[in-house]
Amino acid sequence: MTSNVVGLFHDPESALTAAGQLKGAGFESLEIMSPVPIHGVEEVLGKKKSVIKNFTFMGALIGGISGFALAAGTAIAWPHPVGGRPIITMPPFLIITYELTILFGILATVLGFFISSRLPAFRNRVYVPESAVDKFVVTAPCDDAEHFKRAEAILNDAGAEQVREIGGSDL
Amino acid sequence: MHRPMTTETFKLGYNDIHDDVIRSIVKTGPKYYIALATAGGTTLLCFFFPWFYQLYYGIGAAGMNHPGVWGTYLASFIFWIGLSHSGTLLSCVLHLTNSSWRKAMYRSAEAMTLFSLVVAATYVMVHVGRPWFIHWAVPYPNQMELWPNFRSPLMFDVMAIATYITGSTIFIYMGSIPDFAAVRDRTSGWRNTMYTLLSLGWRGTDKEWHRLHWAYTFLAVLIIPLAVSVHSIVSWDFAMSIVPSLHQTIFAPYFVVGAIYSGTAGIVTVMFVLRKSMGFEQYITKLHFDNLGKLLLVLSLIWTYINGVELFTAWYSGTSEEYEALNYKLFGYYSWLYWEMIIFCAVLPMLMFSTRFRTSFVPMLILSIAINIGMYTERFLIIATSLSRQYLPDAWGTYVPSPVEISIMLGSFALFTTLFLVFVKIFPSVSMYEVKETMATPKMEPAAPAAGSPA
Amino acid sequence: MSLFSRFMDGWRKYRKPGYYDEFDYHWTMTIDLDKCTGCEACVTACQAENNIPIVGEEEIAKGREMQWIRVERYWEGEYPNAKLSFIPMMCQHCDAAPCETVCPVGATYHNQDGLNTQIYNRCIGTRACAVYCPYEVRYFNYYDHEWDSPLEQQLNPEVTVRGKGVMEKCTFCIQRIREAKDVAKDDDRRRVQDGDVQPACVQSCPSKALVFGDRKDTESQVYQSMNDPRNYRVLDELNTDSSVFYLKKVDA
Repeated sequence: MTSNVVGLFHDPESALTAAGQLKGAGFESLEIMSPVPIHGVEEVLGKKKSVIKNFTFMGALIGGISGFALAAGTAIAWPHPVGGRPIITMPPFLIITYELTILFGILATVLGFFISSRLPAFRNRVYVPESAVDKFVVTAPCDDAEHFKRAEAILNDAGAEQVREIGGSDL
Repeated sequence: MHRPMTTETFKLGYNDIHDDVIRSIVKTGPKYYIALATAGGTTLLCFFFPWFYQLYYGIGAAGMNHPGVWGTYLASFIFWIGLSHSGTLLSCVLHLTNSSWRKAMYRSAEAMTLFSLVVAATYVMVHVGRPWFIHWAVPYPNQMELWPNFRSPLMFDVMAIATYITGSTIFIYMGSIPDFAAVRDRTSGWRNTMYTLLSLGWRGTDKEWHRLHWAYTFLAVLIIPLAVSVHSIVSWDFAMSIVPSLHQTIFAPYFVVGAIYSGTAGIVTVMFVLRKSMGFEQYITKLHFDNLGKLLLVLSLIWTYINGVELFTAWYSGTSEEYEALNYKLFGYYSWLYWEMIIFCAVLPMLMFSTRFRTSFVPMLILSIAINIGMYTERFLIIATSLSRQYLPDAWGTYVPSPVEISIMLGSFALFTTLFLVFVKIFPSVSMYEVKETMATPKMEPAAPAAGSPA
Repeated sequence: MSLFSRFMDGWRKYRKPGYYDEFDYHWTMTIDLDKCTGCEACVTACQAENNIPIVGEEEIAKGREMQWIRVERYWEGEYPNAKLSFIPMMCQHCDAAPCETVCPVGATYHNQDGLNTQIYNRCIGTRACAVYCPYEVRYFNYYDHEWDSPLEQQLNPEVTVRGKGVMEKCTFCIQRIREAKDVAKDDDRRRVQDGDVQPACVQSCPSKALVFGDRKDTESQVYQSMNDPRNYRVLDELNTDSSVFYLKKVDA
């Protein structure tokens, strides 16, 4: 049986302390849910590296190349003499390149955000609605009842206002 | 730039913000419906009805004539694009510089960006002679094997504005995901379904906050150069022509500064209205008006300087065309509009040197509206005076807007208002999590009782 | 492979300007202002040949006249000593035309005859070309024009009738050039000879002030007259490289 222990805290410091103690006690895949981004999570749960910057960079690069290819390629496919300018007119084509660099950069950033944060996710997951208002929530999966008891004790010691069990069947 | 908001904000708890913002979405009084019906009706009557008449009759329904082939439609287009410049752009700059005072107002500022862009894009269709073929200006593979002309400044516009609309939509949406999640938990019925879909299953975990922070930062970094490029490109529609008094290198910075100027003034107007009508007195405070006032003052001074440069360049060129255009601008048919613009945009904003003026709400509202009237005049004059006095004196003429044009111009404000009214009932118009961030985080107090757990 | 090599071929070929040196023809007009009497026969002939709509009194008052060629009048001095000069002004068919670059859909471009062409059914009516044209010779159809009966009977079948929302301008009577080229092709594939083709304005000019022909043919009449010492081009300082030359003896 797998269930999840959920501790609600009034303030971020005690939530972080609790998370650190749980981690020290051997609990894994800890999550902290909060109404605002909180500082100091990385010190407790380990450094996070996001892949979003790679997405942004690759998107911008692909956008730049495809932007120039769009302008220059269509001009070559249908040579269209205009105003005595060369068919491949660099200054205006660089503006098109610039705009598409940004467009693809933006789209790739969004894609990177979705992929790296596992959104959108409409299946049921461990969630406490209070965490969107004013509660700081620490949650960890537990293998059995004894496991849960241990986690509950740690959370209560750290000053949790409430400890809940959200089981596999509740999900 | 980290400054506490005001003392009264500190008294509020996380819960109060929640209640206030959700109330603004869920509780709808008769006043709102009256406002929506009035705005929607005006849009229909003043915007769409004259436009359909013009579609049927031809662009001759507007006042454009032979030298003045561009008119108020294009002026309105620039105006709306300009108004869009303070929302997302300002929001990005303030996000990157970590200015906390932005947080209460940026959501509605970004919405302003988005809806101004929508209105501006509609104006493109109102402006062209055959809007039913407008898709030819979009690059897509087609059976004619014809592609648009990427050398045209108008084509840069198409690309830039399409990118800008996409970017601003994504930016406002990304910033709202946590708030949609918060609203999702407090609503029921169709609203719950809508917010469940909009929030994408957001839970507010440490990982999600981390990813959102970085994605948001990268978006801000991308959108700042984009916003600057958009209005530069709009200015090149004019500056890349060889019309005297339009063919100037100062035009790109001139337009960008003018855009941010009128956009910031627009934000002051919208802030005032939101503050009064939605009961956000505690979130939108004197501090915001003070800071926006300082920004407006700086922009006004830059704008005045660039105007001086424009006059000097025309005089210094020593060519008869430029002299004639300059003379016509200052003393010709439209000169009273020119001096009106100088008073509204260069002289009156000097009042903002006084702190007392900046922190009084009603005078700031009046000034912000005056600035935007002046800025609309500026865009109209750029088109009307320049086109009226070009190279060949035989083709000189004057252009006067027709009733259809004036009606569409007024109707576009109603269109904007309608869109905004719909927005405030769907989006949390004050960013909850970011206002919470500006407040003191709850401190360890062991015996604190749970403050009414929400459903 | 083939797409990429096509791209590279095009890249090498199209990086340089000045491709108009390779045009088949280079149609040019000269206007001798010393011969022009300002009779406006060219304006009328153009109106009849090219189905230019009659916009009516009201529209003229709004400043929406339609005349692909107009005779500009400039007065110098006060009444007793007044001096009047004329310049017939039509599309200058610039080789470096500002109007062509600005069209977002490519409705106006330079064709193989060195003509600045306007494609009516591609035009979306942004009117940017009319702003960019320093000669102000582009005219816009503000609405669908009608010809009062029986005037619709005299419409030229060779020329399209333009609908609302479309820009139009002088074409150097491209329908006549096309016809001359067809005739030349049928006749042993020779080039169009000097004098084979004349636009309506040139044909109707009573004082022979207007001369039209191919600049590439050094024997042609237009080549002789465009090298006349009196020649100048209107607004030449804008570097539009126009194809209409004016001849005028400068008063000392």
